[in-house]
Amino acid sequence: MSLREVLTPFSVWKRVLDAPVSIADPFSREASEHYRGFHKNDMETCIGCGTCEAICQNGAIDMVPVEGQNTEKGDSGLRPMIDYGRCCWCALCVDICMTGSLTMSNEYTWVDSDPDAFRFIPGLNEPWKDKQAGYKRENGRVLSGTTRSPMGELHANERIDNFNEICVGYTREEAILEADRCVECGLCVATCPAHMSIPDYIAAVRDQDYDRGLQLLYETNPFSEVCGRICTHKCETSCAAVHEGDAIAIRWLKRHIVDNVPLERRVELIGAPKPATGKSVAIIGAGPGGLTAAYDLAREGVKVTVYEALPKPGGMMRYGIPEYRLPYDALDRDIAVIEAMGVTIKCATVVGVDVQMEDLRQSHDAVILAIGLQMGRGTRIPGSEGAGVERAVDLLRRITAGDPTVPVPETAVVIGGGNVAFDIARSMARLQKIKYGRVGLTLTALEDRAHFLADKEELVEGDEEGVLILDSRGPQEVMRDPSGQVTGLRTWAVTSIFDAEGRFAPAYDESDEQIHQGALVIEAIGQMADTSLLGDALTEKLEWNRGRIKIDSEMRTSEPWLFAAGDAVKGPDVINAVADGHRAARTVMEAIAQGEVVQ
Amino acid sequence: MMRDLHALLTPRHALGPLEIRRENLAFVTLPASNLRGFLTELRDTQGFSHLVLLTAVDWLEEGQFQLTYMMNNRARDLTLGVRVMLDRTTAQMDSIHDLWPTAATYQRELKEMFGITFPGSPRLDEEFILEGWTDLPPYRRDFDSLAYSQQTYAERPGRVTHDPREYMKSKLYPGG
Ligand SMILES: Cc1cc2nc3c(=O)[nH]c(=O)nc-3n(C[C@H](O)[C@H](O)[C@H](O)COP(=O)(O)OP(=O)(O)OC[C@H]3O[C@@H](n4cnc5c(N)ncnc54)[C@H](O)[C@@H]3O)c2cc1C
Ligand code: SF4
Ligand code: SF4
Ligand code: SF4
Repeated sequence: MSLREVLTPFSVWKRVLDAPVSIADPFSREASEHYRGFHKNDMETCIGCGTCEAICQNGAIDMVPVEGQNTEKGDSGLRPMIDYGRCCWCALCVDICMTGSLTMSNEYTWVDSDPDAFRFIPGLNEPWKDKQAGYKRENGRVLSGTTRSPMGELHANERIDNFNEICVGYTREEAILEADRCVECGLCVATCPAHMSIPDYIAAVRDQDYDRGLQLLYETNPFSEVCGRICTHKCETSCAAVHEGDAIAIRWLKRHIVDNVPLERRVELIGAPKPATGKSVAIIGAGPGGLTAAYDLAREGVKVTVYEALPKPGGMMRYGIPEYRLPYDALDRDIAVIEAMGVTIKCATVVGVDVQMEDLRQSHDAVILAIGLQMGRGTRIPGSEGAGVERAVDLLRRITAGDPTVPVPETAVVIGGGNVAFDIARSMARLQKIKYGRVGLTLTALEDRAHFLADKEELVEGDEEGVLILDSRGPQEVMRDPSGQVTGLRTWAVTSIFDAEGRFAPAYDESDEQIHQGALVIEAIGQMADTSLLGDALTEKLEWNRGRIKIDSEMRTSEPWLFAAGDAVKGPDVINAVADGHRAARTVMEAIAQGEVVQ
Repeated sequence: MMRDLHALLTPRHALGPLEIRRENLAFVTLPASNLRGFLTELRDTQGFSHLVLLTAVDWLEEGQFQLTYMMNNRARDLTLGVRVMLDRTTAQMDSIHDLWPTAATYQRELKEMFGITFPGSPRLDEEFILEGWTDLPPYRRDFDSLAYSQQTYAERPGRVTHDPREYMKSKLYPGG
């Protein structure tokens, strides 16, 4: 050993007076700005979708109920609880979080003698709850796809002179891309009135297993081809994806499945109904409510006869919704499957005229009333009685029936801003285009554009098709010339629609008056039920609730043999009618089983 | 610059198209058998003397591993990512430890994490960071991390979770 080697260690003594580089108190040292430290969760933003739990590769997260967080539309009320005995602070959960509620602080020291303390629910009362520093997703990066696969549509000038379907449907590639965005959380299921197995059938699209997809659809909805096109798709408003991008196109994926399974295969996949039970049920009305109940009962081995006033089954799906939104052959296929289950549909048979309620009661174990809302409401403004003024649902029914006497003048005015108003306006616009080569249609609504009751697409497509959409206009008078011919509609500007108590009481600016030219005025302001089929005695006997037949939550009327479903008692759309139909069928089956129903 | 280089070297090394990312960053793919010759020429005549890193991607669906050699020319501030695709089942590549000694460390890591072998590379089969690993190499995409952690690490007793969909049903529409 040389002298140098012996002396070198002592040379460090020359540093003895320097400032130390080691940290005196390592416990309070702040970690770096983006450190992946302990989790934080904004409890009000989190929706309890459980995607953080699903992605965690350490199985560190449980979804648990938390006091003060309620289960409601689009929020399960559950919140993530993390086990720090398993977490490795990889931050995958933060990266995938569907709302961005889950983040990390840069806190990294935590001492406790109770090992269970390290299983905790971020967002409650951890000391680092309000710390700003810590890992967050860089530049608002979102891992799950945020943009919806666009739906192909006919261009306005390709569609305005015909009733061809506007939406062309997804290709397989588009559908797979869209299905890939779904995180299978299931938050949407509660919002669907029929509680369809949404995440499961979306997974079937992803796996390209259309047979499985179809079977899943039929478990909850025999009108999937219809609903895949025109459902009001409220489920999409609860979709977890909506917080950081577009909601999953649940409706279009449903349509995609049905479009990929031919009719014969559908019947095969569903299989034969149960053996006949010897029971029989009469259903009045072949709309979605009545036919869904018919399907369920037939599957249970009940003999079902549906009585329908109009020449063809389908109710408002056929005679209300225009063909460009729902082609008749799509509806026919859904109905064909129901008939394949042994359901008899007697069309052109008006109950109350061709056959009486009492007869149905005598000859069946139970009767289900699903008569919908067939009569349009009138505005009762001056001039609205008499020729030249029509109700939207009557005209739509005549258009479907191919009635050659449907009036198609060069100019027409529609009163109303809901979906029905747009359906008649856009149907009439097509007929005008076919007849005159141009559209002459004005639509007037009480609401301002931002508050139209119709779907946004209706406004966009109505504009594209040349319908003149006027908002905040209140109808005052149907104008007629001395011979009584309708010449137009007089309106005032609307200043408010509801009074201070929230009651419907439109107020107008009378100085802002306009006359909209038109030889036809169409009222599209609502529908009501025609309950004349009941007859006086039954009408008297039944309990009513504000003009509607009263039902309980299981679709029973006050008469033990009579049940009711659909728009006539609840509404307002096809999927609610389907859900009601299921419930009515279930109640009828239970009642039959208990022998409650009077023969 | 990159384009000239690419044009010059393409005929000899059967290079694929040049993918330019930034003015001084580009990628190119070539057959695995041409890699050593290409890297040698890059190093000895084109000034790409620095191996920045060597890494892999598992293209499970395509049945391939991708190796990326990031090569840097310090004098001209140019980086070229050189890619080769390997058959995923054979998962073997020529070693370049004789060209850059540091490559041996990268190759050892790739052997452990992806199971890609580089015959002749020093200490290739020694443990790198995993100790006593017996499962699939963990960076292979068919390695199930969640299943592994569930099998390997004990769960604290008393844990309960809830499925959001079922929980919402129980709260909002228990009757169905
Ligand atoms: C123009 C229009 C557009 C619509 N668009 C949509 C939409 O896009 N999406 C959506 O989800 N919903 C839409 N709806 C609502 C939807 O059509 C209804 O909610 C649904 O059809 C109600 O089903 P239901 O079975 O209760 O009644 P309906 O479909 O109305 O069927 C009732 C059936 O009972 C028959 N009937 C009535 N009385 C008798 C009798 N005495 N004897 C025999 N048969 C009788 C009727 O002829 C009718 O066929 C629309 C409605 C209208 C009017
Ligand atoms: S940080 Fe990683 S390990 Fe920890 S809970 Fe989140 S996903 Fe699981
Ligand atoms: S992913 Fe985000 S929003 Fe969903 S439960 Fe977890 S923390 Fe809440
Ligand atoms: S559609 Fe939306 S809400 Fe429904 S399971 Fe998929 S991501 Fe969740």
